[in-house]
Amino acid sequence: MIVVAPKQKSKLKDFKDDFWKTKDVKISLGEIASIDEIAEEKREVESSRVEGPTPKPNITDLRSWDMKLMGRYEPFYAPFCDMCCLCTFGKCDLTNKKGACGIDAAAQQARMVLLASCIGSACHSGHSRHLVDHLIEEFGADQPIDMGMNIDIQAPIMMTVLGKTPKKLGDLKEAMDYLEEQMIHLLSSCHTGQEGKSIDFESKALHAGLMDNLGMEIGDIAQIAALNLPKGDEDAPLIELGVGTIDAEKPVVLCIGHNVLPGAGIMDYMDETGQEEDLEVCGICCAAIDISRYNPQAKVVGPISKQLKFVRSGVADVIVVDEQCVRTDVLEEAQAKNTAVIATTDKICLGLPDLTNEDSDRIVSKLVNKEIEGALILDPAKVGEVAVKTAKILSPERKTLKMLPDLDEVQKLASECTECGWCVRVCPNGQPMMDAVVKASEGDFSKFEELYTNDICYTCGRCEQECERDLPLMSMLAKVGEKLSKEEKFNIRAGRGPAQDVEIRRVGAPIVLGDIPGVIAFVGCSNYPNGGKEVAEMAKEFLERNYIVLTTGCGAMSIGEYRDEEGKTLYEQYSGEFDARGLVNMGSCVSNSHVVGATIKIANIFAKKPLEGNFEEIADYILNRVGACGVAWGAYSQKAAAIATGVNRWGIPVVLGPHGSKYRRLYLGRADQADSWKVKDLRTGEVMEGEPAPEHLLYAAETKEEALPVIAKLCIRPTDTAKGRQIKLNNYMDLYKRYFGELPPDIHLFVRTEKDIPITYKKDVQNILKEVGWEPRKVAQEPSLMGMDGD
Amino acid sequence: MANERVIPWQPTVIAGPKQALLVTPETAELMIKKAKRPLLILGPLVKEDPVLSYATRIAEKWDLPVVTTADAYKSFKDKGLDPTAYGVVEIVNLLKDPEWQGVSGKGQHDLVIFLGCIYYIGSQGLSTLKHFAPYLKTLTICKFFHSNADASFPNMKDEEWFNYLEKMGKED
Repeated sequence: MIVVAPKQKSKLKDFKDDFWKTKDVKISLGEIASIDEIAEEKREVESSRVEGPTPKPNITDLRSWDMKLMGRYEPFYAPFCDMCCLCTFGKCDLTNKKGACGIDAAAQQARMVLLASCIGSACHSGHSRHLVDHLIEEFGADQPIDMGMNIDIQAPIMMTVLGKTPKKLGDLKEAMDYLEEQMIHLLSSCHTGQEGKSIDFESKALHAGLMDNLGMEIGDIAQIAALNLPKGDEDAPLIELGVGTIDAEKPVVLCIGHNVLPGAGIMDYMDETGQEEDLEVCGICCAAIDISRYNPQAKVVGPISKQLKFVRSGVADVIVVDEQCVRTDVLEEAQAKNTAVIATTDKICLGLPDLTNEDSDRIVSKLVNKEIEGALILDPAKVGEVAVKTAKILSPERKTLKMLPDLDEVQKLASECTECGWCVRVCPNGQPMMDAVVKASEGDFSKFEELYTNDICYTCGRCEQECERDLPLMSMLAKVGEKLSKEEKFNIRAGRGPAQDVEIRRVGAPIVLGDIPGVIAFVGCSNYPNGGKEVAEMAKEFLERNYIVLTTGCGAMSIGEYRDEEGKTLYEQYSGEFDARGLVNMGSCVSNSHVVGATIKIANIFAKKPLEGNFEEIADYILNRVGACGVAWGAYSQKAAAIATGVNRWGIPVVLGPHGSKYRRLYLGRADQADSWKVKDLRTGEVMEGEPAPEHLLYAAETKEEALPVIAKLCIRPTDTAKGRQIKLNNYMDLYKRYFGELPPDIHLFVRTEKDIPITYKKDVQNILKEVGWEPRKVAQEPSLMGMDGD
Repeated sequence: MANERVIPWQPTVIAGPKQALLVTPETAELMIKKAKRPLLILGPLVKEDPVLSYATRIAEKWDLPVVTTADAYKSFKDKGLDPTAYGVVEIVNLLKDPEWQGVSGKGQHDLVIFLGCIYYIGSQGLSTLKHFAPYLKTLTICKFFHSNADASFPNMKDEEWFNYLEKMGKED
């Protein structure tokens, strides 16, 4: 059993009253401690008093927790590839065989998940390292970390994992150092001839996920503290969102990626030179969110699905790429439209000359005169100056390039289609591109419009690469959608950063007891099976049902691109408060850390669980008591894999869209195996029957209609009060009945006593319970996996 | 190209050297006849007519226990079948457990027939079974060639596919 009691590092001697009678007492004056040393000792004792068992855990320190999770949620593998192609022993076919190194298919899948999690984690953490180093250089290591008036728990992940609270920017370096050390060990495990068992690869993947969560927190805290982004502000401003909000008459600078620094440099230069109104600065992906957190004048074009369409539209005079989620052919695409490209970080150099130390005007001259294909500039301030100056020069001469081929030309191109159908076969979603082209050849563009609307086609461009006639299908789509894009004018609430402690204090009890039926986080990318509308519809469904809905990144943008019957976006309809019916945009990808952070804060603020170095107890609390569920309906990247794996380790289940099955591994529970749901009641020490709550830890749903009831179900937790359980079951039953026509067949598993039965379904549920021979069961007051087998 | 019928519908799902055997309705029927505990899994792409009716008739003719995935349940229930609803990943997870007693409680299935799951998640599920359920065979009767199955219909246009399904559901 893991003991969370304080560890006293130095123990004072127990002197009795008859001390002076004690024989053989030796006093050495040289050993008398100074006042400073005593103070230090006191600090150490203070610190040790609250430190849990695993400060700065190494790879195997949380292994026992991972094994408990996997005891319930056995990894489910769906190989994407039957072979291992990593080393020169192979290729090895692992179909019911081992590889030349001895690895089997399960271990290989787990290794690929570990690798993906390491890549994703490195992506966020490399980004954070860049931010921390740059911001320390600019603001100094002593720049205080102040997350706002109502936020005392400034870094819940860092506190829990490292056992320390960062007070100033310089403190973040220690966290980065720890994280980087762990990442080296994790990545090394992927090497041929190292780890051999799938469950240990899994444990390491979970650790990589945890490092990812930590890295994201470091990054967002650094930028919030140094760049003064909103600090848990429920009234963060509304930002303009959508292609239609961009004034193409002005010089346009488009930022793509995730790192705020170059975008901030652009905004600063515009401010300093009084050109705020003269240019349009807009962004795609998380850079857009973070730049608009920095300066609300920046506009958000939209999620990653807008990338190729918008670049092809030629609206941007200058494209500034930073890191992550940027099309790797961005330079080629931009050149076709005479758009200048500036690369700005070491992660994406695009083969461009490093002109960081070059005079700004000379760089501008080289760019506008086409002496260079683009420029690599690693100084954000210089990026700002060059981007603005270049855009202003290029804009007038690019007027004609901001127009796509006219519709007659689209029709003419479409008439060349041979109807081979390969555009549909290579489409990740099998969308009917050929039908759209055939119709367009007849002058009917409605099918193209259907593909354009809500990014049903997310413009990966695979169809174009396959077309035997080399039809520019994405440009044709962009042209047909041009008219529609003018109407794409929405509002998104700027990313507010973390939940305030006072908000957590207010909602902690209702969440843990079940009165607020759940906290659902819509995160992830935009490779949706049927466009972004489904994400917004899911968010709306849960907002109407009184859940707290969190969101970040591309998910936040997709939600913002939807209008309800009254023509309002959900951000205009619902408050940004961390409370029931709140739609809380926490920010960009790195702000996903605040989703986890909120659940950790619940454990601390509501349940008084100490955080420092106390991962397992906190995760156990979250798993058993905090009804949170992540939804990554369009998860596409290794970053999304890392995020999900990390939040899973904290005990938070995640539902993926159907593409999520390509991550190769899920964590599925077995409701039919009663033994796997046993819990220990910490109040009594009794090990007792549990319930499949949450039933799965990582799940891929095939359709939205399947996902909705699953999400509601995964918010059920063993500690729900009877009233809370009624509310949760009512939602689950409602949604299941809507799409399946009857009540869920597993409802008896979640009814502990008659009091749990929702009043509206009382008779029906009672009949089901009778049919299956249900008996009421004892409810654990403090359900836990701590102290169970494996400790 | 002749081989277009027998390369995966989404050509990039090709996973390795082992490819599905191309089958006709007649061969598919032989596989069902030979199986002791077959199972039919119906996905959300066949919850509307005419394939809804074809699928129903196949289930009835061969007296197949039916699992529906996603939200296909209601359509088939309304058609008079008595399906069990699972997520596609849930049913595949159960199928890969040799100890699971099947939807009828009579033992793990030995043949699983897939129809109408979304192609790429279906392909992933078939991959799971290929690797981790060596005791069962998988057959797909979708209009797409599924290389991760043991046996599959070829890529077809609707009309040919409907003929295939009709044959399989026709009383002898």
